[in-house]
Amino acid sequence: MPEVKLLSDGIFEVTKDKKQLATMNLDPGKVVYGEKLIQVEGVEYRTWDPRRSKLGAMVLKKFNISLKENSKVLYLGAASGTTVSHVSDIVPEGAVYAVEFAPRSMRGLIGLASRRKNVHPILIDAGKPESYAHIVEPVDLIFQDVAQPNQAEIAARNASRYLKRDGYLLLSIKARSIDTVANPKEVYKGEIKKLEQAFEPKFEVLNAKDLMPYHEDHLGILAKIR
Amino acid sequence: MKINTWFGVLGIGRTGEVLEFELFSKDIRELVRCSIALQENRQLLRQHLPPAGFDLKTAALECGFVESSAEYYSLLHEVMVEAAKLQVSEAFTADQRIIQAVEALDDINETTNLLSERLFEWYGNYFPESGLSGEALALFIAKYGSRENIGSEDPLYPRARNSMGAKLEAADEVLLKGFAESVCSLYERKRQTEAYIQDSMESIAPNLSLAAGPMLGARLISVAGSLEKLAAFPSSTVQVIGASKALFKHLRARAPSPKHGIIYSHPLINTAPWWIRGKIARALAAKLSLAARIDFYSGEKDASLVEKLEVKVEQIKTSNPKPPQKKQDSGVKPKKRRGRK
Ligand SMILES: C[S@@+](CC[C@H](N)C(=O)[O-])C[C@H]1O[C@@H](n2cnc3c(N)ncnc32)[C@H](O)[C@@H]1O
Repeated sequence: MPEVKLLSDGIFEVTKDKKQLATMNLDPGKVVYGEKLIQVEGVEYRTWDPRRSKLGAMVLKKFNISLKENSKVLYLGAASGTTVSHVSDIVPEGAVYAVEFAPRSMRGLIGLASRRKNVHPILIDAGKPESYAHIVEPVDLIFQDVAQPNQAEIAARNASRYLKRDGYLLLSIKARSIDTVANPKEVYKGEIKKLEQAFEPKFEVLNAKDLMPYHEDHLGILAKIR
Repeated sequence: MKINTWFGVLGIGRTGEVLEFELFSKDIRELVRCSIALQENRQLLRQHLPPAGFDLKTAALECGFVESSAEYYSLLHEVMVEAAKLQVSEAFTADQRIIQAVEALDDINETTNLLSERLFEWYGNYFPESGLSGEALALFIAKYGSRENIGSEDPLYPRARNSMGAKLEAADEVLLKGFAESVCSLYERKRQTEAYIQDSMESIAPNLSLAAGPMLGARLISVAGSLEKLAAFPSSTVQVIGASKALFKHLRARAPSPKHGIIYSHPLINTAPWWIRGKIARALAAKLSLAARIDFYSGEKDASLVEKLEVKVEQIKTSNPKPPQKKQDSGVKPKKRRGRK
């Protein structure tokens, strides 16, 4: 019998042969990206591959993502929904506003969203937060993984409009998308500084760690509005 | 103040309380249409933008658009999924179709070359003296099969009579003929795809098509990702489009910036003497970039664009009649490229 340990609300460590990160499947029987389904006492868990998901890597790196079952999440850079699917599992009574601007990725995301009632897909540029102001409500968490040169600014502009005062910003920074040549460490410092000072709102960075060995040249950041 | 939301237009007070409202009907198609219009029309949106932190769901409950939070999310969900579907289907625009055709053409060319070579080698065992290759060979095999079937009126008849090639057995003949027919139809597909690209370019990007030629124009759109992106690029980028490997090296290692994008296949450049190619490339890139902008924003055909370009190229030619004496700037002499058109 596989062993299940609760790591934080909605996030589990399931041990079957080896320890694996997992969430409770909101769409039983259905696999999203080749992950495994594990049944334990009538509950179906989906393994969460940290190499395929920056958020997954952040969880293993002990970022406190503090989601509850009814949390509202604004997810920027949803791609075809690999990670969105796990967020959807974690907030079964909540809502995930999944923003993605590439029609091609959106096709996959729509397939996912049509099976998961808490995922609301939006085909739009996350760099223009006003353009979805008629749709998105204030949220408890903004997760952003857009791999864009101006990602700190995108995060700040979205936070200023949509993040609740006591909400959190989780960010994956890809060094190469900001500067292809510079040393990643320098890039990270620069991005943290931008979050702390450059825009409105200004953030307090609570945690910042690189995502090795799961993702090379990526930094995870947890921040809140100062 | 008045604000737009996905479910209606609200008048709200200073603390966000709803004072008046005009709700949309709960018809999904109607809601989808309104939501997309708000997303895409910046003016509409800016005029009545909800304030930061505005709680849409509470407002929707307050004004009675929905009875419960569950109803709010289920309706929102349906609208968002349908809106995204519609937008995705509309995103496959004419320039995206051209990009698919350009990529298909590359695949066809690669496959055709590969299969033609195979046919050449294979059939060479049966009729090495044919002197045919490519489409001509494929047509020949599809028509005759064995060289023994050539009629005496065919100019290849004498060579076929005296060939040292092996005898083609019936089973092999069926196989080779079928294979040759496939190759012939690939050549046909290639012409069809090229014609499609030419026609489409003429209709969606007439200026780019005129200045670059339809194929080069289509390739530029393909590498850029869309006509819109191409129109947004500075001309210095247009000049190096397609030189991505060299460009990457330039960025990583700070090597000299590449000069040879795909625009170097343009006749104005590839027929010019080497020492003015860089200059012509710059002038051409500027005009192509302008052409893409006109095509994207207005679509009117403007023949003067090409005339101006030709004048400019003449100027460059007359003011640089001879190769530079010393190797100045970093202008490394481009190596002669052989066997490539
Ligand atoms: C690294 S992928 C995200 C992967 C995803 N978070 C996951 O783990 O499943 C980045 C995505 O962000 C999207 N993206 C980049 N810039 C964007 C923008 N300005 N607005 C919306 N989406 C954007 C890209 O199209 C791409 O799909």
